[in-house]
Amino acid sequence: MDLAFTPEEQQFRDDIRAWVRDNLPADISHKVHNALRLSRDDMQRWGKILGKKGWLGYGWPKEFGGPGWTAVQKHLFEEECALAGAPRIVPFGPVMVAPVIMAFGSPAQQQRFLPGIASGEVWWSQGYSEPGSGSDLASLKTRAERRGDHYIVNGQKAWTTLGQYGEWIFCLVRTSSEGKPQTGISFLLIDMKSPGVTVRPVRLLDGECEVNEVFFDNVEVPAENLIGEENKGWTYAKHLLSHERTNIADVNRAKRELERLKRIAKTEGVWDDMRFRDQIALLEVDIVALEMLVLRVLSAEKSGKNSLDIAGLLKIRGSEIQQRYSELMMLAAGPYSLPLIHEAMEAGWQGDAAAGALGGFPGGVVANAPLASTYFNMRKTTIYGGSNEVQRTIVSQVVLG
Amino acid sequence: MDFDFSDDQQQLRDAVRKWVDKGYDFERRRKAVAAGGFDRAAYNELAELGLAGLYVPEADGGLGMGPVEGMVVMEELGRGIVLEPLAQTLIAGGVLSGYAGDTLKAPWLPKISAGEALVVLAYQERRGRYQLGACETTATQSGAAWSLNGLKNVVAAGDQADAFIVPATVNGQIALFLVERGAAGVATRGYGTQDGARAADLQLTNAPASLITTDGLVALEHAIDIGIAAACAEAVGVMDKTVAITAEYMNTRKQFGVPIASFQALRHRMADVKMQLELARSMSYYASLKLNAPVDERRRALARAKVQLGNSMRFVGQQAVQLHGGIGVTDEYIVSHYFKKLTQLEMTFGDTLHHLGEVSARMQDTAGVFA
Repeated sequence: MDLAFTPEEQQFRDDIRAWVRDNLPADISHKVHNALRLSRDDMQRWGKILGKKGWLGYGWPKEFGGPGWTAVQKHLFEEECALAGAPRIVPFGPVMVAPVIMAFGSPAQQQRFLPGIASGEVWWSQGYSEPGSGSDLASLKTRAERRGDHYIVNGQKAWTTLGQYGEWIFCLVRTSSEGKPQTGISFLLIDMKSPGVTVRPVRLLDGECEVNEVFFDNVEVPAENLIGEENKGWTYAKHLLSHERTNIADVNRAKRELERLKRIAKTEGVWDDMRFRDQIALLEVDIVALEMLVLRVLSAEKSGKNSLDIAGLLKIRGSEIQQRYSELMMLAAGPYSLPLIHEAMEAGWQGDAAAGALGGFPGGVVANAPLASTYFNMRKTTIYGGSNEVQRTIVSQVVLG
Repeated sequence: MDFDFSDDQQQLRDAVRKWVDKGYDFERRRKAVAAGGFDRAAYNELAELGLAGLYVPEADGGLGMGPVEGMVVMEELGRGIVLEPLAQTLIAGGVLSGYAGDTLKAPWLPKISAGEALVVLAYQERRGRYQLGACETTATQSGAAWSLNGLKNVVAAGDQADAFIVPATVNGQIALFLVERGAAGVATRGYGTQDGARAADLQLTNAPASLITTDGLVALEHAIDIGIAAACAEAVGVMDKTVAITAEYMNTRKQFGVPIASFQALRHRMADVKMQLELARSMSYYASLKLNAPVDERRRALARAKVQLGNSMRFVGQQAVQLHGGIGVTDEYIVSHYFKKLTQLEMTFGDTLHHLGEVSARMQDTAGVFA
C-alpha cells in the first residue's frame, strides 16, 4: 500500500503539466478559471490543439492512434488539464462514440470516422434520450426502418448537449418491436446535414442554450452507418457506459473549483466567517474523500481487480460535490450573485458605458456575474448520465443483491 | 499509488479475523461487558498474536510494523467490536519508542509487547475538551524525581491499566510522563462506558512520574494522530460488519409478504449507507498512509479523515438501527452494540465538529490528497 505515484508517473505528470502550460491558450484558461462563457470556437480550438498532439483521444489504445496510456496516466492527464484551466474535452466523439466504433465498428467505419474524431475536426453529438425515454432509456421510440441499402429514421431525440454545433450524431434507434425493449435497439451514425434533420436549441434555467431537441423526419441513413449488428445497439451502448469510470466523478475539476471558491470567499469577506468557512472545510474533506475513492478505483484497475462495487458511487458523489461548490460560490457572493447581466459573463466585458459610474457589475466584482447561473446549471448533474436515483438503485444491488 | 495489501498484511488480517470469529464471539463479549468491560485474558490473547508489539521495534521485543498493519488489525477488531483497547497499546508503543529515552524503553517496551503491561493514554481533562494544548495537570521536579498533580477523565481501561502516559505542564509547557498505577498518590475510579468497554478517572496527588519527553505537545499530537488512524480503521471494521448485518436482516425480515430488502425507499437508504462506508474506508486508508508524513501534512490529513469518519459513523449507525426497525433498539440484538460503538468512536480523539475546525484552520489555497 502506497499513496505516492511512482517516479515514472510523477515524471509523466510533470511532462503533461509543462506541455499544457505551453499549449493551452491563455484566453481560454481565463474563461475556464472564471466560469465565463465558452464559445464553440474555444472548445474546438483546444480540441484541435490536443488532436494535433494525438491526445484528444487520450483514452485510446495505440492501435487506433491513441497514446495507449494506463488508467493512472489518463487520470494524471485529466488532472493536469483541469487544474490548468483547460475546458473539458467535448466527450461525445473521442470519449463516447470512438470506443464503440473501435470495439464494434467495421474496419471501413473505423477508417472513415476515427481520424476526424481524433483530430477534433468533426463535432459529434449524442442521440440517446427522448421526450418519453429518460431513465427508462430502453423504451425509446425513434424508428429506423430498413429500405434496401439505407434506413429511414423518424422520431425525436432530447437533451442533446451542444447539438447545435453537431455535424454527426450517434443514435440509439428502434429497429424492432419484438421481444424485450432492449433487444430491438440499434446503434446508428447519422450525418446531421442530412435532409429531414432539425435541431432546436432549448433554453435552460440559466438562460443558456446548452441542450437541443433533434428531430428526424424521414431521414435517409446509409445502411453502412449501422454499427455492428442490427438490434444489438443496447449492448454496445452499455459497453460505452462501462468505459466511463473515474472520469465521471470529475474530481479534478472539483479541486480547481475549490480553489476558486476560496478566492471568492476571500473577496466577498466570508472567509473569516467561521460558519461559512466550516462549510468550505467540509467540502474540502468531501473532495479529498472523493479523490481517494477515485484513486482506489484506479489502483484496482491497475492491479486488474474488480472495482465495480465502488465505481458506481463515483457519479453520485461527484455530482453532489459539483452542486455543492457552485452553491457555496453563489452564497458567498450573496446578493451580488443576483444581478442577471448576460454580457458580464463574456470575457473582457467593460461594463455598460452608457450608465457611466454605475455601469460596472453591481458591487464591483464581475467575477460574481456567472455564479448563480452556474449554480442553476449544475442541477443537471444529478439528473443526467443516469439520475442519482437510478445510480442508487444500481448501488443497492451490490449491497442487497 | 497502490491500495493492494501485501501477502503478509493479508495473513495478518486473516489471523486477527480468525481470532475474532472463533475466539471472541458475541457471548464472550457479552460476559466481558457484564464483568465490567475489560477481559485481561482476551487482551493477553491479542498480545499472543503479537498485536501488542505491533508498533514496538523488533529490538525491543515487538513486530516493528507500520500504520498499514495497524490499520488492518484495527479493522478486524472493529468487526468484532472488541472491547480491549488495542488502539491505546498502539499509541503507547508508538509514543514510547518514538519519544522516550532508553531508561524507559528498556523496561517498558518488552512488557508492552508481551502483554504484561497495559499502558494507556490519560489526557482528557474537563476544561480541555478536545484541545490538546489545554492541560491543568502539573508536574514538579525535585532533584531527578518528578511528581504530578491533576485529574484525568475517561481514561480507557483506566483502572485495569498498569501505567499511564500523562501530559502535564512544566513552566507552562506540556511534557509527557509515564505514571504507574500502583504508585503512591495514584487513585482511579473505574466505570463502564456506553460501548460496553471500561474507563476510569485518574487522580494524581504528588504521584511519582518518569519523564518521557519535554517536547510533550508534539508527542501528544502524534499520540492522538496514531489514535485517530486506529479509530478510523476500527470504525471501518465496525461499519463493514454493521452493513453486512443490516443487509442480511433486510433480506430475511418479511413485511407485506416480501423481504423488506425489496422496498425502494430502504434500498436507496442502503445505497447511501454504502456510500458513507466507502468514503470512510477511503479516508481511513488516507489517515494511515499519512501517519508518517511531515507534521503539518499529517495533522491536516488526520483531521480531514476524522471528519469523514465521524459523519460516516453517525449516518451508518443511525441508519442501521432505523433499517432494522424495532429489533434495532433492543439490547438483545447485536446491531445496537455496533451503533453504540460507532457513537463512542465519533467522540474519541476529537469529534467531528472539533476536527472540522482543525481542517478549517489549516486550509490552504490548494487542496487534495497530496496537499
